[in-house]
Amino acid sequence: MAHSFLRPAERHLHVQRTPLAGTCPECGAQELAAYRVLSDGGFFDVHKCQRCLYSLEREPAAPFGSYVPLGLEIARSLE
Amino acid sequence: MSRDAPQQLIRELSHEQFAQRYGCDRFTATVLASRFGYVVEHMCSRVLTAAFSPILRDFYDFAATLTGPPERGYPTPAMSASILLFTGTMTDSVRNTVEEYGLDRLAPGDVIIANDPYRNGTHVNDVLFTRPVFHEGRLACFVNMKAHQLDMGGMVPGGFSLAKRNVYENGLVLAPRALFRAGKPVRETWNVIFDNVRFGAILAPDMLTCVAELELGERMLLESIERYGLDAVLGSMVYVCDASAERMAVALAEIPDGDWVGEDLADCDAVADDEEYLVRVRVSKRGSRAEVDFSGTSRQARSAINATALDAKTSVGVAFKSIFDPHGWFTSGTTRPIDIIMPEGTVVSALPPDGAVFAYWEQSQVILSALLRALAQAVGPAALAGDRGSANIHNANGLLADGRPWISAAQVGGEVGPFGANRHGDADSQMLSYQANGIGVAVEAVESDAPVVVLRHEIVPDSAGAGHFRGGAAMLRDSLWLRAAQHHLMSLHFKLAPGFGVNGGGDGRTGGIWLWDEGEREPALSQAGPDSYASATAVGGVLDPRTLEPSADGVYQYPHRVPFWETRPDAVLRYVNCAGGGWGAALGRDPELVKRDVRDGYVTIAGAARDYGVVLSGDPEWDPEGLELDLEATTRLRASMRSEP
Amino acid sequence: MLGVDVGGTFTDVVSVRDGKIAVTKVPSDSRDPAAPVVLGARRLGVEGHPVFNHASTMGLNAVITRTLPKVGFLTTEGHRDMLDRGRVWRPPAAQTDTSWRRSFGDVSRPLVPRYLRRGVLERLLADGSVYLPLDEDQARAQLEVLKRCNVEGVAICLLNAYVNDAHERRLRELVAEVLGAQLPVSISSETSPLAKEYARASTTVIDVFMKLIFTRYAHELDGELRSSGFAGKLNFADCAATLLPWAEALEKPFRIVFAGPAAGTMSSAALGAAMGAANLICCDVGGTSTDISLVVDGQPFFNNTFELEHDLIINALSTEISSVGAGGGSIVSISPSGDVRVGPDSAGSDPGPACYGRGGSQPTITDACLLMGILDPDDFAAGEVRLDIDAAARAFAGLDTNLNLDERIAFAYRIAATNIAEEVANVAIRHGTDPRDFSLIAYGAAGPMLLPAALELMHVQRVIVPPHPGLFSALGLLSSDLVYYDSRSSYVMLSPEQAPAIATVFEEMERRLRERAGVDATSGTVRRSFDGRLYGQSWETPFVEVPPGPIVAETLIERFHDAYERRYGNRFEYVPVQGVSYRVELVIASEKVEFTAQEATGEPMPPPRRSVQIRHLEGERLDAAEYTRESLPIGASFEGPAVIREGLSTTLVCPRQRASVGSFGEIVIERA
Repeated sequence: MAHSFLRPAERHLHVQRTPLAGTCPECGAQELAAYRVLSDGGFFDVHKCQRCLYSLEREPAAPFGSYVPLGLEIARSLE
Repeated sequence: MSRDAPQQLIRELSHEQFAQRYGCDRFTATVLASRFGYVVEHMCSRVLTAAFSPILRDFYDFAATLTGPPERGYPTPAMSASILLFTGTMTDSVRNTVEEYGLDRLAPGDVIIANDPYRNGTHVNDVLFTRPVFHEGRLACFVNMKAHQLDMGGMVPGGFSLAKRNVYENGLVLAPRALFRAGKPVRETWNVIFDNVRFGAILAPDMLTCVAELELGERMLLESIERYGLDAVLGSMVYVCDASAERMAVALAEIPDGDWVGEDLADCDAVADDEEYLVRVRVSKRGSRAEVDFSGTSRQARSAINATALDAKTSVGVAFKSIFDPHGWFTSGTTRPIDIIMPEGTVVSALPPDGAVFAYWEQSQVILSALLRALAQAVGPAALAGDRGSANIHNANGLLADGRPWISAAQVGGEVGPFGANRHGDADSQMLSYQANGIGVAVEAVESDAPVVVLRHEIVPDSAGAGHFRGGAAMLRDSLWLRAAQHHLMSLHFKLAPGFGVNGGGDGRTGGIWLWDEGEREPALSQAGPDSYASATAVGGVLDPRTLEPSADGVYQYPHRVPFWETRPDAVLRYVNCAGGGWGAALGRDPELVKRDVRDGYVTIAGAARDYGVVLSGDPEWDPEGLELDLEATTRLRASMRSEP
Repeated sequence: MLGVDVGGTFTDVVSVRDGKIAVTKVPSDSRDPAAPVVLGARRLGVEGHPVFNHASTMGLNAVITRTLPKVGFLTTEGHRDMLDRGRVWRPPAAQTDTSWRRSFGDVSRPLVPRYLRRGVLERLLADGSVYLPLDEDQARAQLEVLKRCNVEGVAICLLNAYVNDAHERRLRELVAEVLGAQLPVSISSETSPLAKEYARASTTVIDVFMKLIFTRYAHELDGELRSSGFAGKLNFADCAATLLPWAEALEKPFRIVFAGPAAGTMSSAALGAAMGAANLICCDVGGTSTDISLVVDGQPFFNNTFELEHDLIINALSTEISSVGAGGGSIVSISPSGDVRVGPDSAGSDPGPACYGRGGSQPTITDACLLMGILDPDDFAAGEVRLDIDAAARAFAGLDTNLNLDERIAFAYRIAATNIAEEVANVAIRHGTDPRDFSLIAYGAAGPMLLPAALELMHVQRVIVPPHPGLFSALGLLSSDLVYYDSRSSYVMLSPEQAPAIATVFEEMERRLRERAGVDATSGTVRRSFDGRLYGQSWETPFVEVPPGPIVAETLIERFHDAYERRYGNRFEYVPVQGVSYRVELVIASEKVEFTAQEATGEPMPPPRRSVQIRHLEGERLDAAEYTRESLPIGASFEGPAVIREGLSTTLVCPRQRASVGSFGEIVIERA
């Protein structure tokens, strides 16, 4: 979480999906992964089956991804 | 509806199930659904008529929406049919704005504003105005308007520059704050805006118009709540969003599962020609669910050509809606069956302070192209060919003889250009881009306002992507500048033909920008034929080094090698946009339609043979009705072309 | 007085003699359009009538169906694609609709295909100076191509010709030389010398089409009428339902491309004036759509352009009319989510609603009204059509939905009423008016059976069903004035130094109008106006009134800001004002139909003809009183539910509504 970002050094950027143990309740595949998505409702941290795209978990994530405006951070620290 | 596979369609619900889910009967939901649409259209009508700003009036650069309350998940059942470029950002920006401001601080009569691209998408000129609607003391919903303001401060008047390098040069950033509190103006907000922006005397009435529209929207919603009850109104909001999510999901379920990759490119930023900006999407579809993963996309650019994740969401919505659910309004439910996976810090998910965001619409083009390329592999004949891939905006300014300034904004560059073809037929050649819409300014109005003569504005023969249905042709526009001028160019899309063909169709030819600036000279009309380019200065495009015509094997000319192009009086500037892609195999096109295109000058006799295998003879220029189609020779030529590798 | 409204399906004829209105309806004939006009006129008698006022949709129909003659278009070299471009924009609602194409674009149905649009080497600048002289040899060569292609007419529109007509005039001479002096030619500097090349070019193209379509027709019609004994004046109505002597109309026939709905607004205004109702919402419910227009303080709203199709515009003064796709023939369907939908598709007149029994299988609003009992199967359209209830029921039964039949019909009827009510609100809001100050005039054959049901949704004071609602538009042709008008453009920053130049423009136009009007001019009144803009805007604020007398720049600026504020609610006095187009109208009062009040006779309210059952409106069924309109005396008053039948229409009075018959024979429906 930060308010100022350097330009990434790598030319092309990738999202790493974290593999999870478990079985998809819908299709039975053992191909679960955790990552962040943007959809109706904003950003979510999800656990999804990589075979059928079923969502086992969808937790709302921070509204602007990693970005936290500095003013907001300071104000919150003073509240 | 849950976001996963629709178990039971809405139309199959019993009366009781429907009433339980949506707080009203079906008829009421139908009436309220259309009411929501009317409310947002009503809210637009005065912006369209009362605003001073030509950007609002001519380019619909605004949107009105309604948003339900937090406990219902901020459903947005209606977005005005104004600019597509805002559609994906609206729900999120309202939610982000009111939550950051503080839901518990909201009171009747408040107007909250915000414009930070990293929080809300698009760019700083687009200010969100949102008003909480209270019913019987309780927060019921929100009415919202986002509208492009003529100026938001920053280093360039109006903001239209690709060269701005960071947040500080870009313009004033307004975190969520009250413009009105309980109906009373908040002085410090008005001050912070008007101490920092240009053209304040014009900006203020435009902002007040937006506020007046919110009041109208609020009034109409309260009337509906009085008439039908709060539960019915909020339930219907959810219903409308569920219905559009369901339409998308059902359409997705109808195509085979698969994974498809699409890529497209912005040529450069305005700092140096040493880095191309790739957008890569991988679309995965399983049943009624889809994912769009942007992994592999380039890091953010060093100047203001970036966009944000919410803009990416817009283009994902536009691509999917155009193909799978082309009729009716956008809602927040449109993207519900789709998850977007986005690395941070890319050219389409830029971060502050150095990932400056202004020309987000150029990235919206690139994202849409990448998505349409990927989806073309998924949907076969329903694929959409690429358009010209850039808004090709040109601005110029200078001084008149008496020292007064003149300005020409988005009037004589490549703003008008072709669409790509699709299964419904050949494409129009004179449009704005897929995600924009607007009124083209008349040549006579342009010439009365600025010292410019539009010498020609016509199609380029043989440029359109060939196909069973052909793409729109590139438009060539030559403008003669009677006085010294500075030209600001905003084209980023020549290296990879954006007008890609689909379903076996051909790509549209790429375009470019040229300049003839020999200083004072005899007035003469330029010529537009293939031989006319060689004497010019090549400004932009991938061009043959000798003829300076666009050529796939040519050399890229970097248009931003100077901060702006300065010309002497009587200089001629030429824009040719990239042509639209074709749909379906060109060898399957009805020879009579090829003959019609030759008669009308869209295709030459040589082009008819080369691109379509159609053999014609005659003189299309001087005896257009005397063209002869040789069907036998056509059959032979097509057969031999088909057998070639 | 005679008025005739030539529609696509029917030709309506109205005669007013000694205050008595007589009407007749004749099927239209697209191959011989004059014949039904003459037939209908003879039926009502032509002798002794001072005027014969004619409106038709012939021009518009010819354009929409592209049953057009072959014409050529000449413009400045490099600019022939202006006719493919229009003003670029697509309808906002079609933005993700990938099937949308510009209707008049080269890939769709161009009015003039590209090869007949020819560029001429010449160039004028914005100030009218010649940048490149006309290359006559090159122009002749282009005309030879048009000659080879056997064009029947030529439209000419050169860039900036609105400030300098020399090249266009010379080109017209060259057309006569190469293609013959008889060939109809329209030049933009004469047809419509207004800035903005696309609208001017489009106007000029439509003008030459209308010359080809109307010239023979008008001569035939005039001849036939005269040989039938008509000795008065034949006038043609334009897009604002104002009248022109037919010979004058043929000079610039683009004005008469479309007349009809505007006449309904005119008729409403006349009835409203008689009743003392100055604020009206005029609602014409036809077969495919409902046309809505406003009358405020007795005056309709005018536009300075008219749109034949999306963005196919011409510079014709027109009455502002909005349309919503809800009419008697609107098709009822089910959306993917199970919503009942009405329109925008329509069954038209062929096959028509399912109940017409002409092969229509989709249910329409007319079918719903029949099943509801509002329409009488044995007494429809003066008995000319017998309605098939079973066919209507089958059509509704065929809808793919789990709603029951009652719900299908009830929802369809209410959705149609709701759609109209929403569009009425839309029109009112666009003009910043409050519907509560308005009366709604319900006409068109289907108006009286749909609009009273919308009363609760619209906040209007009352619904008024005029006499002869099905022919009310045609009656408007007898409520109109003769108007000669002219306009021209010049971009001028308004300032005292420029006042004389503007004065010259107005004087010159007025002089020419008076010449054209001849002896009539003496009784005419002159109206002057201009269209201006705030410097920096790309659009104009139209119809800024110019007061009589000398031109004073300060006054024009003041009037501009007043008009801007009235129209848009803002005042930008610190922004300079630029004049763009200037307009003179010479209005010659014409003899009009007069609505004369009849005294209530004190006749008792007649008993209902019978009781009928209205289904699907409220509850299981309602017992409604049925009256015939002619049986209701002035002053009659009763509560709904009731139906009132007359030759071509049925009025539904809903429960909790009161109907009363006013002194002009109108039915006034209010909340009880």
